[in-house]
Amino acid sequence: MMVLLLALALGMTLGLLTNLSVPVALLTYLGVAVLAALDSCLGGVRASLERSFDDRAFVTGFLTNTLMAALIVFIGERIGVRELYLAAVVAFGVRMFDNLGAVRRLILERLGWE
Amino acid sequence: MGVVGALDGGPRRTFTVLRDESIRRVIATEKAVESQFHEARLFLTLAMAVGLVGFLLVAQWRGNASYARSLEAQSSADLASIIQQIAAENDAMREEALQLELRLMQAEAGGKGRSELLNAAARELKDLRLVAGLEAAVGPGIVVTLSDPESVLLPVDLLAFVNELKSSGAEAVAVDGRRMGALSGFSGDAGSVTLDGQALEPPYLVQAIGKPEALSQAVSMPGGVAAAFATYPGVQVSVSESDDVAVPAAPDGRFVVGEPIKEK
Repeated sequence: MMVLLLALALGMTLGLLTNLSVPVALLTYLGVAVLAALDSCLGGVRASLERSFDDRAFVTGFLTNTLMAALIVFIGERIGVRELYLAAVVAFGVRMFDNLGAVRRLILERLGWE
Repeated sequence: MGVVGALDGGPRRTFTVLRDESIRRVIATEKAVESQFHEARLFLTLAMAVGLVGFLLVAQWRGNASYARSLEAQSSADLASIIQQIAAENDAMREEALQLELRLMQAEAGGKGRSELLNAAARELKDLRLVAGLEAAVGPGIVVTLSDPESVLLPVDLLAFVNELKSSGAEAVAVDGRRMGALSGFSGDAGSVTLDGQALEPPYLVQAIGKPEALSQAVSMPGGVAAAFATYPGVQVSVSESDDVAVPAAPDGRFVVGEPIKEK
């Protein structure tokens, strides 16, 4: 767990150091993509706690989720339904809370708090 | 293979049991190491993904912050207030600039003696006399030769030509060596054009002081005077730029102030 938090901190410091800022046009895309990636990571943590983590499934899921999220935003913009990205946001948001709940329960089990 | 006691079987049996045991142990350690490796790999994958997410999060955070600061994200009311503020700042700065200019003028007026003011006035007078044609002048400009073998150029053509030069910045113009002053005018007829009562002889030589490029461009501009003259029979316009065109002063005009006749 600590290693994961460290990795997160490392990524953030890298982001802070490189000082890149996203062009306004791509903000929505990256936002939804980040959400998808975050959800994937939570899913990965949950799976590893359940001892059912499979790295191939994780990596492919991570990439396809992220790209699909961006694609949904793109399609929405193209067909004039700007709010289509909300679908992705809601879906990933719900899943994130699911995963978060599962992770919480698993950690409690680990601590012998059944 | 079951539990081993020291009592059952001989040394051979004990040996096989021990061997089995050791083999099992080796396999178990191998498995453990392998699973640890596997575990580490999975963990590394997850950690990398999490790191990437952190990176993206920060990038997005930044972008969003800058977007929120940008004008596009402001409501129209905010924009209006921003515009008002900027306009107010502008006004204040203009005011300040005016005040400073005023102070500068005052300082100049205070700092300069009468001689300086007189000099400035004299310079201005000289400039005005130059424009009015009361002073001889030398400077860069152009020299134009209008050949008119068939005597078709009218006074009005020459007037148009000179006006063209004046409007493109000629400061002093002379035709056939006669300076055009404030009261000059062409008259007469084709072939016997006069300038201020003095007959001119074709080919007409026009000298003009001003920016040479601007003047020659004005003459040879498409649809300009030269193009118009080219449609006249025999008329040819040749322009040459020169660094020192010299024009004489115009004869002093006599200025008369008119007064209305008083009715008795």
